[in-house]
Amino acid sequence: MKLKSSYIVVAVLSVIAIAFPAFLGAYPLNVARSIMTYMALAISWDMLLRSGQISFGIAGLFGLGSYASALAVLRGGMDPMLSIVFAAAFAGVMAYALGFAILRLRSMYFSITTLALMEIFRIVMHNLHDFSGGPEGVVLPSVIFKGASPALYWLCLAGLFLTIGVSWFFEKSKMHLALTAIRNDETSARSSGVNIFNYLLIAFVITSVLQGMMGAIQVQSYGFTTPDTAFDANFTLLPLAMALLGGIHSTIGPMAGAVLLGVASEWLKLKIPYGHLVVYGIIIILVILFMPQGLFGLARKARRERSKAGASHE
Amino acid sequence: MANKRNAAIFAALIVAAVAGILVWRPTVIIYGLQAAGLYASIAIPMGLILGIVHIVNLAHGEFMMVAAYLTYMVCTALGIDPFVAMIPVALVTALVGFIVYKLTIRQALKAPELNQLILTFGLAISLTQLANLLFTSQTRKMSFGYVSASLSIGELSFGVYNFVFVAIAVLMVIGLRLFLTRTTAGKAALAVGQNPKGAAIVGIDVDKTYGLVFALATGMVGMMGAIFITRSSIFPAVGSPFTMKSFCLIAMAGIGNIPGILGASVLLGISENFLKAFRETRGWADIVFFVLIITVILGRSIKGKKA
Repeated sequence: MKLKSSYIVVAVLSVIAIAFPAFLGAYPLNVARSIMTYMALAISWDMLLRSGQISFGIAGLFGLGSYASALAVLRGGMDPMLSIVFAAAFAGVMAYALGFAILRLRSMYFSITTLALMEIFRIVMHNLHDFSGGPEGVVLPSVIFKGASPALYWLCLAGLFLTIGVSWFFEKSKMHLALTAIRNDETSARSSGVNIFNYLLIAFVITSVLQGMMGAIQVQSYGFTTPDTAFDANFTLLPLAMALLGGIHSTIGPMAGAVLLGVASEWLKLKIPYGHLVVYGIIIILVILFMPQGLFGLARKARRERSKAGASHE
Repeated sequence: MANKRNAAIFAALIVAAVAGILVWRPTVIIYGLQAAGLYASIAIPMGLILGIVHIVNLAHGEFMMVAAYLTYMVCTALGIDPFVAMIPVALVTALVGFIVYKLTIRQALKAPELNQLILTFGLAISLTQLANLLFTSQTRKMSFGYVSASLSIGELSFGVYNFVFVAIAVLMVIGLRLFLTRTTAGKAALAVGQNPKGAAIVGIDVDKTYGLVFALATGMVGMMGAIFITRSSIFPAVGSPFTMKSFCLIAMAGIGNIPGILGASVLLGISENFLKAFRETRGWADIVFFVLIITVILGRSIKGKKA
């Protein structure tokens, strides 16, 4: 019974999300798109985090995806829609190749290496003047769908739905058990027969595909990119803060965090043009110190305590 | 035995390479050493924190940035030289570091490593953005006559001011060694770094030691911030590359090996300046360090597997 009602809620929410362009103008749709992009990145970051591996390289794969897509259109004459698929696949292949090396690392070494990889991608794009346009970046001949904002919105929404779907699948399938086991205790996971490296590789490749795809969607909807926008540290920082605030190790937590912080930052951007990101830094600190489980973790705890109290009353 | 021979061959190769470059492009060695001094003197305090408190402080470079802004304000307001402002700035930064430690990092010492990493990442963002908020992203610069001092040997002419960083790095290593082996507080810090539980059992106040070490390290990096402004212009994001570089150097040297940071810095400084010496490769100089960091981390992990 409970399951059914939650399905109805999901269906209603998706219909509302799909219908947004009917009653919103171009500016709110633009804001919604940026929030959805960050949301998808936050969810994908969290998917890898469920295995205990913390990546600081979201922006790296995001940027890689946007460059792969832009260059496929510009140099290879690929169809824009197809180039998004290509970019996602490219990010996946890169992640697969890199994964063999970096997934053997743990904790801070993994994090720092992902951060360094992101910088390497950025510098490579900066320096390959003839191929990637160097610091000036690339400009596409036209924006996908001729820049019609409802269509761009739906494209971004499709990317987000795919991400949510994959994340939901991760939560419900064997992946969830495997990743949680790895996070909790690698040695005991291994001795229970979990193939740690394989699961990590699958998770890393899938999250990279999603991040690359979002990067491609972003570049196709704006029509240009530069090394500094594609590999902007904000694409690492914001998703991280959103996932932490909402509550990690879940799909719904990063989503809630993205909506809250996305709307808040849009408002703050107008109020404080310089340095409004300080709020993100402070949120990260406060969340880590006072509620490491995030808002949803708190809610879950409160509900559990209430049900416990109710049980003792009976 | 084989290890020793390998090391000897390796050392001989390095010496040969250095000698070759010295003859061919002497400035590579000179500027490489100067850059190495700067890298090392920023990395050493971080190495101290990592070796004793066992925290990767991703806000390390940001503390330097804060100190540099502080120096900028003090020096423009009072018209004094950064080398005079250095001591008070170092003290203030040490105090800030101590407060930050007490308020945030201390609470996360028992938390999983991931939380500590994200926490200091959050600190770094907050400090950078706070600077952005207060000073905007405009770059600021102070110029001094003595910075452009140069020396000519034959046809070769080069700036000598930056050798000050080499001196500071060497002094830091010697000073820390004396502190850690000769003073009571230093010996206690070393003991805590090796085994916090054991140190607590024999009556060392672990929390106080951590606070002291953190304050000392931020004070040192604060001093570096004051000197840093004499040679470079500053902006809110100026510190973050140094955080990464410092971590890389520490990983290369091995955690807890402070003199090793000097050697790692020389390698980084010279290879960066080697690429900078040619016009075609100049843009790629930044990548050296990232390639080094990945090679080193991967190399260490593979070596660790074998052992």
